[in-house]
Amino acid sequence: MSEFEKILSTVFSVGTLQQMLRSATPVALAAIGGSMTEHAGIMNIGMDGMILMGAFFGVLGSFLGQSALAGLGLALLIGVLVGLFFALLVVRYKSDEFIIGCALNTFALGLTSYLSRSVFGNNGTKGNPALPALHLPFLSKIPILGPMLNDQSLFVYLTWIVVLLAWLFVYKTPYGLWLRASGEKPDTLRTAGISPKRMQWIASLLCGILCALAGAHLSLGQLSGTFAENMSNSRGYIAFACVIFAAAHPGKAYLAALMFGFFEAIGLRLQSYVSADLTNTIPYLITIIMMVYVVARKQQRKKKLARA
Amino acid sequence: MKPMKKIICQLLVFVMMLTLFAGCKNQDKPTDSKPADTAAADSKPSGSEPGGSEPSLKLALVVAGQFGDRSFYDSSWEGANRLAAEFPIQVTQIECGNENHTAQMKNAADKNDVVVCVGWEFYEIADVAPAYPDVKFIWIDNETEEPIPNVLNITYAQNEGSFLAGYIAAAMSKTGVVGAVGGEDQPVINDFIVGYKQGAAAYDPKVKVVTNYANSYDDPAKGKECALALADQKADVIFQIASAAGDGVFEAAKERGIYAIGVDSDQKYIDPEVIICSMKKEVGNSIYDAVKALLAGDSSKWGSTWVADMSNGYVGIGYGEEGSTQQVSDEIKAAVEEMEQKIISGEIQVDTTR
Repeated sequence: MSEFEKILSTVFSVGTLQQMLRSATPVALAAIGGSMTEHAGIMNIGMDGMILMGAFFGVLGSFLGQSALAGLGLALLIGVLVGLFFALLVVRYKSDEFIIGCALNTFALGLTSYLSRSVFGNNGTKGNPALPALHLPFLSKIPILGPMLNDQSLFVYLTWIVVLLAWLFVYKTPYGLWLRASGEKPDTLRTAGISPKRMQWIASLLCGILCALAGAHLSLGQLSGTFAENMSNSRGYIAFACVIFAAAHPGKAYLAALMFGFFEAIGLRLQSYVSADLTNTIPYLITIIMMVYVVARKQQRKKKLARA
Repeated sequence: MKPMKKIICQLLVFVMMLTLFAGCKNQDKPTDSKPADTAAADSKPSGSEPGGSEPSLKLALVVAGQFGDRSFYDSSWEGANRLAAEFPIQVTQIECGNENHTAQMKNAADKNDVVVCVGWEFYEIADVAPAYPDVKFIWIDNETEEPIPNVLNITYAQNEGSFLAGYIAAAMSKTGVVGAVGGEDQPVINDFIVGYKQGAAAYDPKVKVVTNYANSYDDPAKGKECALALADQKADVIFQIASAAGDGVFEAAKERGIYAIGVDSDQKYIDPEVIICSMKKEVGNSIYDAVKALLAGDSSKWGSTWVADMSNGYVGIGYGEEGSTQQVSDEIKAAVEEMEQKIISGEIQVDTTR
């Protein structure tokens, strides 16, 4: 086997694909949540804080109730509260969503660090009841795809359902139409007798729930009931990039998250051959390329419209 | 009603901002060393000021990241706490949370007699320390380019301890591949790695060492992915050098049924079934000893770099508390001890990136 083939076989293994799915899941869940607020015309950069809250309260619930379901329940409850809180400030009181998003991120970091130390002490916590990985015997017979999809955390499979539901909701129900209208043409929606604000409340609520799920996946699914301060590690911002790239389409947002996961997995494995500083820039390079693509696509459309 | 809403809104935002500071633990720890204080006050001739319980020394512990990593920073925290418990010292803890290192260092120097900067990030100490000639600084894990009279640099021979960790890893490996997960591609972390590689080669030159970096010190999920990526390359003993992100390495090891090696503190207790040993870097003890010497009136170390290494006992291997599960056999332990003596005597020269 030549050196090149060796590199290829380490970089593109089943493990790479498994990691792609694992790493993409929290980003994808948050990105689908972000798509909701994006459709409603709210630029939500507070997703990172929402993820962190979900991660912490997931572990806290799991610790207090000694069951992963209790953790999931508490994370969801907090997601609802954070979503409502966000809507209260942004929709009801019309604060600048950018500032509130920033505030939410710092708020979440401070609050979770403070509570973590109050409850678990300086050492943080780990080994609380976590959500089990699913073993599907029928999958193990399929080569490559089998091991890639098998033995993943429950959330990985759940995310596929969420993507489908979100797509149906946004594009196939009247609620979805109103949701999109509330961002694009709020006045028209108002004329039709539907409050754009109500749709924005719903969008914020859904975003809070989905981001909390993303956090719970991080601490209870990907890790076994572990919380570390600032463990969201900017996943919320990556999710935001996915939202913009996908033009808030849930399916495309999932694909964008998969791409990030894929390049993260490749980057880790390439480190055996290339400097880590270089592989570390991959997600950011991808973001820049994505953004250039988005802008170019928009301009092309404008030109087409002008010609027509 | 409109202005009312605005005020409520602003208040809510303000409260949110406040919680940010709630997270920064910047607490004054009043010393619990009452007996020593009162004894000192009693021995004074009568007529001395009633403020006899005034601490004799104010010490600030400024850490670059945040506590809760169960290794590097927490070790410094333990050292400071021991000082506070045994001497009339008032300890203030400041966490930078990976930003504003210079400002935090200045804040600490304004109010304290001794400032301990924990982390290689405090490069600005070269500008800050000369501005506070009466304050004694200790810089952990790095050194100033030029000696500064009121700065004591403490660096650690982590390469020597990592050599032993690499030796143990190679001895315990069944696949002939061992791994290491670093926090960042950065000189101190690489110092661990070169020692680790050399140690593994000392056991068997055929052993392959695979490494990667999490590029984060506080993302355990990323640390876990790093370890899984190494496990995919057949590594069956993985050394974590990534602070809190390293927690994920332990989880990956548990999931795959392989072994892990802890770092800085003796981390065996975290998961005794998976963590076979820890590379100890006694940051807390070195701070304790330096300040203790200062209290005794010995400030001769200031203005120089003190290398805390294996010969003076600040770097080594820990196998956990007595009675904990042991995976490393007594023969290997004996061989490790032999290696340790060879490093101390200088017979083995360990590579370094410092």
